[in-house]
Amino acid sequence: MAAGHEPMRAVAREVTTTPRAAARPAGSGRLLFFLAVLRARPNYALGYGIVTLVVLLAIFAPLVAPFDPVQANPAAYLQPPGWPHLMGTDATGMDILSRVIYAPRIDLTIALAGTLISAVAGSLVGAAVGYYQTVRGLGAFASGFVMRASDVLQAFPVFVFAIAIVAVLGQSLESIIIAVAFVNAPIYLRLMRSQVMSVRRMRYVEAAYIAGTSDREILTRHVIPNAIAPVLAQLSVNIGWAILLTAALSFIGAGVEAPTPEWGSMIAMGFQNIITGHWWPSIFPGLALAVTVFGFALVGSSVEVLADPARRRALAGQMEQRRRATLPVGPAPAGADGGD
Amino acid sequence: MALLAYIGRRLLFVGPQLVGILLVSFFLVKLIPGDPAVLMLGPFATPDALARLRTELGLDGTLIEQFLIYLWNVLQGDLGTSWQTTLPVTIDLAQRFPATLELVTLGLLLALLIGIPLGVAGAFFKRGLLRKAADYYGLLAGALPDFWLALVLIFVFYTMLGIAPAPLGRIDFAILPPEPVTGALLIDSLIAGNWAAFWNAAGHLVLPVVTLGLINAGPILKMTQSTMERMLEADFSRYAEMCGLPRHVVLRKALRNSLPSIVTIVSVLYGFLIGGAVLVEIVFSWGGAGQYAVQGVLNADLNPVLGFVLYSAVLSLVIYLIVDLIYFAIDPRTR
Amino acid sequence: MGATAAVMRGTPAHELERAATPLLSIEDLWVAIPRYKLESQQVLRRIDLEMAPGEVLGLVGESGSGKTMLARSIMRLIPASGWIERGRIRFGGQDLAALNEEELRKLRGRDIAMIISNPRGELDPLQTVGQQIGNILRYHMRMDRTAIRARVLDLLRQVSIPDPERRLNAYPHELSGGMAQRVVMAIALACSPKFIISDDATSGLDVTVQAQVLELMRKLVVERGTSLLFITRDIGITAHFCDRVAVIYAGEIVELAARDEFFENPQHPYTLLLLAAFSHNERLRRYWLGEDETRKEMGPSPTGCPFANRCVRVQPRCRSEHPSLRELASRHFVRCHFPVER
Repeated sequence: MAAGHEPMRAVAREVTTTPRAAARPAGSGRLLFFLAVLRARPNYALGYGIVTLVVLLAIFAPLVAPFDPVQANPAAYLQPPGWPHLMGTDATGMDILSRVIYAPRIDLTIALAGTLISAVAGSLVGAAVGYYQTVRGLGAFASGFVMRASDVLQAFPVFVFAIAIVAVLGQSLESIIIAVAFVNAPIYLRLMRSQVMSVRRMRYVEAAYIAGTSDREILTRHVIPNAIAPVLAQLSVNIGWAILLTAALSFIGAGVEAPTPEWGSMIAMGFQNIITGHWWPSIFPGLALAVTVFGFALVGSSVEVLADPARRRALAGQMEQRRRATLPVGPAPAGADGGD
Repeated sequence: MALLAYIGRRLLFVGPQLVGILLVSFFLVKLIPGDPAVLMLGPFATPDALARLRTELGLDGTLIEQFLIYLWNVLQGDLGTSWQTTLPVTIDLAQRFPATLELVTLGLLLALLIGIPLGVAGAFFKRGLLRKAADYYGLLAGALPDFWLALVLIFVFYTMLGIAPAPLGRIDFAILPPEPVTGALLIDSLIAGNWAAFWNAAGHLVLPVVTLGLINAGPILKMTQSTMERMLEADFSRYAEMCGLPRHVVLRKALRNSLPSIVTIVSVLYGFLIGGAVLVEIVFSWGGAGQYAVQGVLNADLNPVLGFVLYSAVLSLVIYLIVDLIYFAIDPRTR
Repeated sequence: MGATAAVMRGTPAHELERAATPLLSIEDLWVAIPRYKLESQQVLRRIDLEMAPGEVLGLVGESGSGKTMLARSIMRLIPASGWIERGRIRFGGQDLAALNEEELRKLRGRDIAMIISNPRGELDPLQTVGQQIGNILRYHMRMDRTAIRARVLDLLRQVSIPDPERRLNAYPHELSGGMAQRVVMAIALACSPKFIISDDATSGLDVTVQAQVLELMRKLVVERGTSLLFITRDIGITAHFCDRVAVIYAGEIVELAARDEFFENPQHPYTLLLLAAFSHNERLRRYWLGEDETRKEMGPSPTGCPFANRCVRVQPRCRSEHPSLRELASRHFVRCHFPVER
């Protein structure tokens, strides 16, 4: 076996002398693959495009919006879309386009913060529960208790719960974020718990355990990285749902208060107008909301595929097949004979 | 007999779960700032009047005492009174809960009618227009806000086209509603033979049911599609193909094997929509249970909230029990 | 051995040789499946095979050798999104590529049937045994309900399932491995097909059950004159009732001969490795298997003879030049530059 060491040492020497050459292909390879995926799957590209646009709008709103979003102008109320108000004005004369552009600042902030908090908190607790629930005594008892508590929380009507939290904490940005986080945490708890439970049973984790690695190290080094893929996929979809929840809360009046521009409260403000035929104060914000959530959902489905090694491979195989089918000269294919 | 024993065991667990849910709701609502006595009598009431009202409402005493009193009353069938409507909660819910149930049940039925066929088509066709339509519908339906879709439908069908009735509740003021038997207007008017009420109520149901149906078809479609895809890749489907069974037979087998997942998602949606349909209820002035509870929270009116939570928790548990019984019926492996 | 088999069949051995038109004819078949890393992988190469009506052909190969691929390719239901790159398959003189999907569907289960290796996993868990056998009869033979029930009971009896009336209503998860295997055989026999493929049907069964199933298969094939492609990992089993034996390695046929000739005069190193694995002769085992366990990890070699990496007799020519299938004795084909001649 001594002969085996020689080539390894030679490779090691090569790596140390040209580190950059060795490192570059890996990173740019991934990026190139991602770009190729976007080209092969235009709906993913659409999703990323929408999300990027919304984020940019949130950041650069003051530069893009034509009017001040909270500037009421009673003289120009309920003007239909046209010039200079491309999306018209609402009942108090505020420009709808500017408000639609400013709204992502609030919605995205709340959704991102709330989702991240719930993901991190829920995942950590879920990982701990999944890992320690077979430990006799305190571990199993605490895990059982947490799961029962989570059951009770999930049995709650979601909206009532969210509104109650906002009511208790007082209507503010922070309380909405906490409400969103609370409502979503059980999802991550369950997800992480089931992932941890299945990863734990894998051989290499058992091996690490037998080798005497500490619990914390096993968790952080082996279990969590493997369990993370579905959590990431869930995250993106969840952000979209959190935006909807924020809008819903604001619609009821238990969320962001007027006149802060927020899509849900804008829809609520335009509620009565729509019945009298002035559709623009409610329709435009709703469209923006739907398109944004749609974009996040597309991103979520792309993450679902890319984070799962098996599906990523299947996608790469499909892309490669199509590439070969369009090559001018290739092996004699008899077409998709009997297969996909 | 084993079946009865199973149901009995399940019901045993129900009790503690309900108490737990009530406990959490109780303390949560108690945390909401707002003194009902002040809210009822106004800011200029005298301290004596306030104190008297508080005693009347049972608001003195520690929280634990209040909770135990509440629990004792619940066991006797008394869910307290709402200070907003001044009616007992049981009466309020008897009217509102069936309204929500009628709406949600019909909405989910429509969602099944749309979601399952599209999901099956999406799983069966690997490419093509139908597949793309199924994929996009699933994503779009999950992205649309239900209250906004409701407004759009009202705008198109009521304001512009004038076909739909005004979104002002379940039935026109002018029509005499039937005697409440189940609380569901459609059923009650059929029982009473009151055709005018039946058609009017049906007309009012169309737009909200379509709203809920279109949106909830999304999750049903996605679950059906993904489960069907898995089933069509499974060994038994390949074997069926190998035996030369016609395509519709293979599909039927896969669909039968997908039923447990579909039943699961429907039950989850059902539980969610009891409280989750509140936005649609508000838009259509439906007078449903979700609306009732939300008003309760916003005004620190404790009893409606607790009553609603209790009803919806019981309903969820009943649904889960029914779902498990359905699993028994479908899947011989569970027996 | 051969004489006994012939006597039991009632036919002289040499008359089992090729009839005028072969029932199944595979010409230069190449099948590939897509892979992640760019190159699609060929799982079957240069397959040439013919089967006469009433013939039993044993196909021996290890896991991954392509035997299941071959079985499914004949049915034109290639797994893993594979496709036929080259070659032709003819059944009863008819080129299968010329048939449309509906005609192929009629062929499957009725004229060509497959007995699979994981019966409990492949039967529909939600339907009873009676319903599943009945499905085949209903859709292929258009029988009415009473006729179907009678025939199902008859089939269950033919595969030696005791108490068939009760088993009619059993679900797959209630059956033992051997019982499920018989049900699958009943399904395969339902329409009296001309050709049956048995894909590793006896693996995973207890030895006694295995013996019973083999005996049953032999009896049924002999009685009905069905052709049987008997795919297995166990070379010893083929000695029981196969007329010819073929060995497949890394997607290529490496040896093909009549059964007696095959066992008396094996020529390919891989065949000898398989035979030696169970030999009592220590020297023989050590010679042919050598360091096979470590060599086995190396996989087929990409150039030259695919077996080169594992062959104890490998020469430089084996790595550079791909050997073709040569007829060394009467109807005895070997794909090797240096076959083991006696």
